[in-house]
Amino acid sequence: MKHLDCKNYIHLDCEKGLCALDKAVVPSDGEGSEACARFLPAEKCGLCMHFSEPDRHGIGTCGGYAKANWAYASMNAVTCTSFKAS
Amino acid sequence: MTTSEVTLEEVLKSRNIIVSDLADPQDYTIPEAKESTRKLMELYYSLKVTADMEAPYWYNRTWWENEGDVPIIRRAKAMAACLSHITPTILPYEKLVMGKAKNVRGAFPFPWVCASFFNAQAEALMNEVLAPAESEADSVSVVGSGGGNVTKSYGSVISIAKKFGMRKEEIPVLVKTSKPWDGCSIEDVSATYAAFTPGYDQEQRIMDSVICMFDSWAIPQGREVMNYYLPLEYGFDRIQELCDEKIAEVMGEAGDDGILGMARGYYYVAMKEITKGLSTWCDNHAKQATYLASIETDPAFRANYLKIAEVMHNVAHRKPASFREALQLTLCCHLGVVNEDPQSGQSIGRLGQVLQPFYEKDVADGVTLDEDVIELLELYRIKITCIECFASAGVSGGVLSGNTFNNLSLGGQTYDGLSAVTPLEYLILEAGMRNKTPQPTLSILYDEKTPEDFLMKAASCTKLGLGYPAWMNNQTGMNFMLRNYGPEGMNLQDARAWCLGGCLESAPGCFLPLHYNGKVTMIPGGASPTAGTGVHFIALPKILELVLTNGLDRRTGKRVYPAHDRELATYEDVVDQWRTYLHVTTEVVNRVNNIQMDVWRTRNPPVVNSLLKPDCFTRGADIGMMGARYNATINFESCGTITFVNALASLKKNVFDEQRFTLAEMTEALVNNFGFETAYTTGVFSPDSRISTAAGASYEKRFAACLQAPKYGNADPYVDGIFRDYENYMFQVLPNYRSYYGKPLYLCQISVSTHGPQGFVTLATADGRLAGTTYSDGSVSAAAGTDRNGIYAIFASATVYDHSQNQNAQLNLKLHPSAVRGLNGTRKLLDIVRAYMRKGGFHVQFNVVDSRELRTAQAQPEAHRELMVRVAGFTQYWCEIGKPIQDEVIYRTEYES
Repeated sequence: MKHLDCKNYIHLDCEKGLCALDKAVVPSDGEGSEACARFLPAEKCGLCMHFSEPDRHGIGTCGGYAKANWAYASMNAVTCTSFKAS
Repeated sequence: MTTSEVTLEEVLKSRNIIVSDLADPQDYTIPEAKESTRKLMELYYSLKVTADMEAPYWYNRTWWENEGDVPIIRRAKAMAACLSHITPTILPYEKLVMGKAKNVRGAFPFPWVCASFFNAQAEALMNEVLAPAESEADSVSVVGSGGGNVTKSYGSVISIAKKFGMRKEEIPVLVKTSKPWDGCSIEDVSATYAAFTPGYDQEQRIMDSVICMFDSWAIPQGREVMNYYLPLEYGFDRIQELCDEKIAEVMGEAGDDGILGMARGYYYVAMKEITKGLSTWCDNHAKQATYLASIETDPAFRANYLKIAEVMHNVAHRKPASFREALQLTLCCHLGVVNEDPQSGQSIGRLGQVLQPFYEKDVADGVTLDEDVIELLELYRIKITCIECFASAGVSGGVLSGNTFNNLSLGGQTYDGLSAVTPLEYLILEAGMRNKTPQPTLSILYDEKTPEDFLMKAASCTKLGLGYPAWMNNQTGMNFMLRNYGPEGMNLQDARAWCLGGCLESAPGCFLPLHYNGKVTMIPGGASPTAGTGVHFIALPKILELVLTNGLDRRTGKRVYPAHDRELATYEDVVDQWRTYLHVTTEVVNRVNNIQMDVWRTRNPPVVNSLLKPDCFTRGADIGMMGARYNATINFESCGTITFVNALASLKKNVFDEQRFTLAEMTEALVNNFGFETAYTTGVFSPDSRISTAAGASYEKRFAACLQAPKYGNADPYVDGIFRDYENYMFQVLPNYRSYYGKPLYLCQISVSTHGPQGFVTLATADGRLAGTTYSDGSVSAAAGTDRNGIYAIFASATVYDHSQNQNAQLNLKLHPSAVRGLNGTRKLLDIVRAYMRKGGFHVQFNVVDSRELRTAQAQPEAHRELMVRVAGFTQYWCEIGKPIQDEVIYRTEYES
């Protein structure tokens, strides 16, 4: 897992974020991007019980609302009222 | 020194009066920005401009799930879903929160508006094939490669539109989100019906030649002034209650209006939806702040997060009860509006007057000090600077240089005609001096009633070289308002409420009664839709070039206009043919533009802005249905005015008056760049770059004659008369064209950055300008290096016509820092401004910089990350400006002491 998959990851830009615990900048890719021992999974569509059948791009089906629709695994779900960890 | 002099100096020194200061009083020493500001700015300088798919995903999903619903309600539901699902990002040290997207310098695509400029690239990327060629405007637009711009792809990051980085894994999401809009985006639908326009082929040739800079759907909102009154007066929960009351009153009732009466019910349903979305967006931040507080071990950070949670929860529901809550609420509304369309120029307005009642009460109650307020205002500057516009390279680079023109105006007059300057406005200036960022740019509405100490403080800020504040003539602005909006019923009180949309688009406003702290304060705010979405940046010198070349673009070999085949035996013939080509251009571009904007307003009506902008809520009509109080706002934008005027003067003098050579000989010299290498070959766009070719000798006399021809800016009646005739002609002729609101057009004269790409496509001009180099900037700036008689001569030239005829007139001046040193220098700067305003000049802005520093910064941009310059109506980081505009700014005439 990477920092950008962590609940305590704060988005900065396309290549880095901030750790809410350390206040340190953490890269999204490459060296230094691996999560630390305090990793806590962020709410993301890919981790939701309503998300199924992702393709090679991570695009799958969201069944969390009245009408099923496509969604993508890496999308944040912290604001989603239907998110339920699988 | 005598004993008495020594004694006098010692006596004064004992009273903290330094004798040398009396001779040359020192300027105010500006305190450092607050620690929170410095930490956040340190982070800002490291950030990349980033686009992501979270917001458009939710907009898209909700939109398609509500197929068949009433359009404005469908739109409101989609926007509410978009806003309420944005991941709330809160940084340590922040006190004000929220941003356009989850990334700090974040943005997102709007495929329902326009997608062609990235769709083809994204699909090609997914299929690993070559992307098709870019549009002509995109290809000639240079985006600055420094700072936060992602001009090339790297690693897991894909560069979109030469500016935005998007993570590779989101490209398939971009394609999947955009695909359903093929053929039904605003861009596509408007193109379908624009093709029915007589002369559509002509319009396409005009666009392809970059005579017109861009299509309106690229940035359909902006160049207008926000209005924050409704939520400040009522709060989001009460607004929803008001919507319920109005629904009960009007749903199913047409009243006397058989066309729009029934739509009122749907409007209020939509407004309730979007208000809920705004409220949820704020509440999401409250929840995130609460979570961060729960994991935070440092007491100071924890207390800060808890305070943010409290403020955001209050802002989510009720009217603000403090300055901080009021400021946060305005920020929320501002971001909501700039998130509902790709846009630029959504201006803040007279915030210091809007929020004065909240500031006043907090200070009186002892709950805040001025230094606390300054900190919030410093942080506010960072928030506004982070607002990005997702648009094509031609727009974001070629036109905007990456700026979003969130203009904050200060001064002017109150509802009662008194000076509108408030104590809070002094602090806004102070924050702008301590935290030097491009946004919000500041504008002083100079009035003879404005207090002298405020003007001196503003001048001391201007001379820091940040490019702000710029100075506008309040009386000229008011006169334009009454002239242009009088037919819609504007009175003197509303005229006083005007201020700047975008960089310099004078926009109408109104005063509304804010009830707070047991008082009623008439606060100003915008009262119109966009004051800028008309005919975009017509390259006046390029049209003149095509007169000389019989409608054929000799740069590309393509025919742009029908051949006129006229002999052009007199100067009047040349002017007449130019006017004919201008009419051909305006006629068809205006019609196509009307279709684009009509498709936008009916299929993609603004919802956040239609909630806020008076009188939409009282009328029950959105902006597209002319719910705003004033709608005669659509304009015609010109570019290259002074290059054009100087070229005409040279033609008149050299060819027709003194007959030194024929028109054919002049044209031949222009087509061959006076025998010099072109900027296309050398890659140097500076007007002073002249590398001769073997053919150079045969053009020497013609080139010299063109350089020596009369130039605007020297108080020379020969050329100033041509300028006046041009201005009067445009004033007479433009109202004959009608906008999609059925209102007459008027002239807007700002170059922004378009003098770069439009200069690029223009061959040499008869004033001696070489091919590919930038036009003169602004509209009344002298062409660089041609103003030889000093600043006051420029003022004389600029004011040969009444500036209140048009929306604006833009003047850039460059001063060397030595010219404004010390307190006396501040006084001199203010005197310059005052002299121009008293002659009737509408606007002046300053660069205060040593050109040598700019040349060094051009060679080593990353060593000058914080350097900012004033381009034309905006301040921007030097490293994020494209080279053609950098060259132009370096070459501007510099006035020294």
